[in-house]
Amino acid sequence: MVRAYTQEYVYKHPWERVTSASWRKFVDPENKRILSHILDVDTLNRKLDPESGKLYTTRAITVHTPGPWFISKIIGQDICHCVESTVVDGQSRSMQLSSQNISLQKFVEVVEKIRYDPHPDNPNEWTICRQETSIRIKPLSALASMAEKVEQRCAERFVQNSAKGREVMERICKYLEAESRGISL
Amino acid sequence: MGDNKTSRSHTRSSTSPCAHLRSAYHNCFNRWYSEKFVKGEWKKEECVSEWQKYRACLAEHLDDKHLSRFLEADTLVNVDPNNQSPYGPPHS
Repeated sequence: MVRAYTQEYVYKHPWERVTSASWRKFVDPENKRILSHILDVDTLNRKLDPESGKLYTTRAITVHTPGPWFISKIIGQDICHCVESTVVDGQSRSMQLSSQNISLQKFVEVVEKIRYDPHPDNPNEWTICRQETSIRIKPLSALASMAEKVEQRCAERFVQNSAKGREVMERICKYLEAESRGISL
Repeated sequence: MGDNKTSRSHTRSSTSPCAHLRSAYHNCFNRWYSEKFVKGEWKKEECVSEWQKYRACLAEHLDDKHLSRFLEADTLVNVDPNNQSPYGPPHS
């Protein structure tokens, strides 16, 4: 069984600033306290195509397993490695991120896709973020018998965490805005 | 529940010897991204020496076998280049 959730959010900041904030979100040390479920972020691969203006990135993200405590009890660990792939198209101004867990796959598969595009109503000043998360408990795993409940709790946690993520994004955007004003003055 | 804390913090810090090189690279990249890339200056890649140092450190310390294979991988996973419409086929 798969549960999928979509969320939409509008940033009243230009695409350039919002995607800059997205890169900084997990990396800036001052966000560590709010985004405490993110333990480590490493850039594994990066490729720039100078002709098309596309930037490809693979990052490793280590997170505290989302969900209720009894999950970590059953699976015997409470950290999870995820791989995140990102394509930024500088020409068409789009950013697509896709992340997936690569550990604990016996138990659960979580795929999260995020896109940042200029908002159609105000493409130079606003950015629309669309996020889609799907959670699938593996049918024969130790979690299967309570899959529904586990998926529900995981989902709740994801929603909480994405709210925190947006809060951090808004703050970085504000900071970048102030910085750019300072430079242009 | 807190009994496996020590082993956990060990796993967590597997790449921490690279923390300095990592933040040097990330700072350089973030500056390049917001000051050049988004303004259309993408002909030239920057932060090359920061990247090389950081990557060399990662290659040495990224002992987790799940992750090290991604260091070698040239192709990227799971971003569908044809997925242009954010309102693509519904999941349910």
